[in-house]
Amino acid sequence: MTSIDTPRAGAAEAGAPPAVRLDRISKTYGNSTAVDDLCLDIAPGEFFSLLGPSGCGKTTSLRMIGGFTDPSAGTVLLSGEDVTALPPDKRNVNTVFQSYALFDHLSVADNVAFGLKRKGVARAEIRTRVAAMLERVQLGGLGDRKPGTLSGGQRQRVALARALVNRPQVLLLDEPLAALDLKLRRRMQVELKQIQREVGITFVFVTHDQDEALTMSDRVAVMNEGRVEQCGTPEDVYEHPASRFVASFMGTSNLVPGTYRDGQVVLDCGPALPVGPRDGVADGAAVSLSVRPEKIWLSDFEPGMALVRGVVRETVYSGPTTTYLIELAPDVTVSVLEQNTDRSRMEDRWCGGESVEIGWRPEHCLVLE
Amino acid sequence: MTLRPLHRRHRRGTDRRPRLALAVTAVFFVLLYLPIGVVVLFSFNAQKSLTVFKGLSLRWYTAFFHDNVLIESLGMSLRISLVAMAGSVLLGVALALGLVRCRTRLGSLAGLIMLVPLITPEIVTGVAAMLLFKGMGITLSSGTVMLAEITFSISYVTVILRSRIAALNPEVEEAAMDLGATRWQALRLVTLPALLPSILASAVLVFALVFDDFVLAYFTTGVDPQPLSVRIYSAIRFGVQPTINAVGTLMLAGSIGLIALALAIPRLFGRRGGLDLLSGK
Repeated sequence: MTSIDTPRAGAAEAGAPPAVRLDRISKTYGNSTAVDDLCLDIAPGEFFSLLGPSGCGKTTSLRMIGGFTDPSAGTVLLSGEDVTALPPDKRNVNTVFQSYALFDHLSVADNVAFGLKRKGVARAEIRTRVAAMLERVQLGGLGDRKPGTLSGGQRQRVALARALVNRPQVLLLDEPLAALDLKLRRRMQVELKQIQREVGITFVFVTHDQDEALTMSDRVAVMNEGRVEQCGTPEDVYEHPASRFVASFMGTSNLVPGTYRDGQVVLDCGPALPVGPRDGVADGAAVSLSVRPEKIWLSDFEPGMALVRGVVRETVYSGPTTTYLIELAPDVTVSVLEQNTDRSRMEDRWCGGESVEIGWRPEHCLVLE
Repeated sequence: MTLRPLHRRHRRGTDRRPRLALAVTAVFFVLLYLPIGVVVLFSFNAQKSLTVFKGLSLRWYTAFFHDNVLIESLGMSLRISLVAMAGSVLLGVALALGLVRCRTRLGSLAGLIMLVPLITPEIVTGVAAMLLFKGMGITLSSGTVMLAEITFSISYVTVILRSRIAALNPEVEEAAMDLGATRWQALRLVTLPALLPSILASAVLVFALVFDDFVLAYFTTGVDPQPLSVRIYSAIRFGVQPTINAVGTLMLAGSIGLIALALAIPRLFGRRGGLDLLSGK
């Protein structure tokens, strides 16, 4: 379940070394462990997200790839080359910082040109590359402005341009959209993904926002307490969470306690529900049944569905969808998400206190130990 | 106890002019600036008298500019101030960088010790410096004044710069290194430019402080051209000449100009920084 025994998913295709390989990386501060024996392979050209709550070690991992934090143990390899001992300026990676970290005393164009000047690129080439990159991030014509005069979204684009113009092997992004408002963030998500596809550079993206990770990534590593809980495509980690932590971190998850027996889960609150045979779950094991809110039905059940009765406790209308909180037993509440297609009028929806039957396809529920 | 008077006062509003406070302020400024005003006024006196004002004239300014001894001292004071400014800014900025970035117990102790010169009576500092130079067998000269003034001024530079450095975003220097700059290049290309307003402001402040300083200069100066403040003091012992009024007025004007410059520097750069210490922000 944890990283050590997980095969290196997405590793080296056709012999090319992974763009980034973290080999048994650990980082400890005094008695606390920020990153614990982490192994990761990130393929060239991949949009890879490190997702997790704050303090899970995702930013520390990113800083170790960038060279800002020295690992306590393990090696960092970039395209097969061991860079563990190299300082940031000797690594062919660039970073978009959470605070953007722009140079306020330099113009936007000089900010973007900073890396190229350090590399000794010819002046004429710097000028054309900077202009092209500013155009690419829709900042053409703002090159002479000082960063202090730009809006948050524009500053974010400067930070992105300043890193991308160097054509790094890997671009590291540390919660780059966190400071933007929701609407702008949505737009930048789409735009970042587009840019990544165009330039073909490996992106390593740190975020605590599961929507962001699901929307943008080719693969996601869900981290918790310094370890990777699960690593896979967005679909993988959302539909088939490998642990209770992943299930509950990836959006709303209904976890109902029960006992597994013979292809059924006997809920602690009474009813026995069919889940189908589950390999690797022992008879009599205490488990949690997990069903995503959008996979629970409220009517028009199909044969073979798991059905259970409950009482509506709350009805939350939010435009395209309605969320019902349904109590199966004291302290066991599941949320159910329904599209407002059939029940679009208020009087058609259930309200508090009503008794309802809910159901789901056995294959849509997960049995987590 | 009745609440009525309080109630009435409240209804008159709290934004009326506080007359008593205004009066106290006025008295304070009169007491503070009257003596200085007298010096300025009598520097323009047409007569030699220091008590009776008899018409405007610039004769004492002319006398000053023809007094080779005083001009020589003025030159020496300017030289001492420039050297002390350069030396203390160089060392003070380095010290501030070190104090902010080295977060050990020794570092915070050094940060506290650094403040001691600011509260030590200057006469103690002066006597101590003199005794040290004498004890080391160093002949007092303009060089010893410079050394003493540098030592004394480092604290000012460090106090001003420290808060600015602590307020810098550490990611900015990391960004520079991320973009291929070495540690030294990051400091030179990113950190120092960000600190420039504060550095210039503290430099101007040090220049003004050192130029005006008397006590430290008095104890550490030698017999080569003495600093202006010491020279004025010696001159007064042989009777006050109205020329002194002219010198005093010029020094005052220069100092006010420098302090104003120090306060204006951050504004010229269009961002925060500079003398937060003086402007009380």
